[in-house]
Amino acid sequence: MSISVKVGQVALKNPIILASGTCGFGRELAEYMDLSKLGALSSKGLTLLPRDGNQGVRVAETPSGMLNCVGLQNPGVDAFLRTELDYMVESGAGVVVNVAGHSNEDYISMVEKLNPYQDKIDALELNFSCPNVKEGCMVIGSSAKAIEALVADLRKRTTLPLWIKLTPNVTSISETARGAEAGGADAIVAINTLLGMAIDIRTRRPLLHNNTGGLSGPCVKPVALRMVHDIYDAVKIPVIGCGGISTYEDVLEFMIAGASAVELGTISLVHPTRPVEIVDALEQYCKDNGIDELSSLTGTLQLWR
Amino acid sequence: MKEEYTIQLVKKEVLGPTCSVLTFTCPQIAEEGKPGQFVNLSCACFLRRPFGIMCVDRANGTFSIGVRKVGKGTEAILASQVGDKFTCLGPLGNGFSFDGIKNLMLIGGGTGIFPIYFAAQYADENHIACKVVNGYRSKADAFLSDDFSKICKDFHITTDAGDLGVKGNVMNYLETLTDDDLVDTTCMVVGPGIMMRKVSEWAKSHGLDCYVSMEERMACGIGACLVCVCKIKAEQEGKEFVHKRCCKDGPVFRAEEVIW
Repeated sequence: MSISVKVGQVALKNPIILASGTCGFGRELAEYMDLSKLGALSSKGLTLLPRDGNQGVRVAETPSGMLNCVGLQNPGVDAFLRTELDYMVESGAGVVVNVAGHSNEDYISMVEKLNPYQDKIDALELNFSCPNVKEGCMVIGSSAKAIEALVADLRKRTTLPLWIKLTPNVTSISETARGAEAGGADAIVAINTLLGMAIDIRTRRPLLHNNTGGLSGPCVKPVALRMVHDIYDAVKIPVIGCGGISTYEDVLEFMIAGASAVELGTISLVHPTRPVEIVDALEQYCKDNGIDELSSLTGTLQLWR
Repeated sequence: MKEEYTIQLVKKEVLGPTCSVLTFTCPQIAEEGKPGQFVNLSCACFLRRPFGIMCVDRANGTFSIGVRKVGKGTEAILASQVGDKFTCLGPLGNGFSFDGIKNLMLIGGGTGIFPIYFAAQYADENHIACKVVNGYRSKADAFLSDDFSKICKDFHITTDAGDLGVKGNVMNYLETLTDDDLVDTTCMVVGPGIMMRKVSEWAKSHGLDCYVSMEERMACGIGACLVCVCKIKAEQEGKEFVHKRCCKDGPVFRAEEVIW
């Protein structure tokens, strides 16, 4: 019996990946769990230069989820390479490095800075989907053509697996996924947060000082699941499901819909030990149900006719 | 390894229509909790709610928090009954340091009086000279004043309404103090932002060390999500501020580092 999975050429000991932006570089959650039990950990979204992130209120709770507008607060890729990458490697989890650019040139510069460390990195996750910064990112990620061009350019510059994290804030995520595939991506990660808003009725101002924020948590799961299903149908490269996953049953749903692995994170902001509990539960599920390879579930969905 | 604890409400002391002291069993938090630290408590809503620890009872393995209704989460917590179970992370954050303190002045306002009580208790048990100044709206919400009187001989109250203690806010009391009253004094302040800022400015003008407990809207409470940041003066040249996490880098910061 095995719960290991493969995302293209990337082998993971199980399908559980901590989603970027919900786990820093692993240090905080390491106080609550053995990170080596995880499939992988995706770093906080890195930018070329350090970013302070957005000012003022950055979080608003919603029924069964939350809006955030952190705005990619991070130490920058150079500081990451100096102080965080080795920590992630030594944690024993797979290492996914999430990068977010303001422009195509930013992505190129970051990929070139990360290239010399490819022995330590399992995959590069290109964040084309942060809704909380004003330039780059989601703008690039909203156009299949722009995605294809940039991925094709980066593909020529690195042999690292390129995972493209897509935004759900588009008309057709199948189309943007096809753009990534055409550019030479190794996998699609879907979805980043849904753009949302909350208003204080007393002040008649948005609760979030960025006015809008990204919605995550159990409330987005049905949307994410449907999009993973659509992408699985649209492309041949692997899909990594992400959005509101909180239980091992959620993981199974995403895998059945077509995910080779999953990312989760908002739930660990409430229950920091949950990711490793899910790993254990997946193992138990396979034992209880006589499933030899958990990965055999991927894409086994049978639609009603 | 830290854990998420399942804890039980064992005592509920109703202080007023929207405010109670809740006591929970949790030997680990009772053992480890220090003044200025907080717990992140589950509620009927999606996210947990953070509360400064009000006191611990190591012998009985319990800790207490003061809860005032702010929104749906605190409303649900206040409606809970003895015997109800919660899950909890804690103790979290960096508390106050009492090392080398000669004379302590604790200043509390709003729900800040609850963590201030823990600090006063610590000072009492460790024989640190301590003055407490609590600001309340009126006599009706001068919660815990009897409890403070028992552990602190030098306890002062201000009320906006003027029906108890000095009329006005804590500044009206502090401004009556002379430099002779403030020799070797360290201030610790927990309360609304405006109060902490005013006290910080006053402390600075008298050359006093001052620490504040920052509060921002929080999610994880363990430093992972970066939503609860506050602005702290940057040490790096050419940079005005850095965003530090209230939950993990604080909640206690040196007042002079804070950019209000």
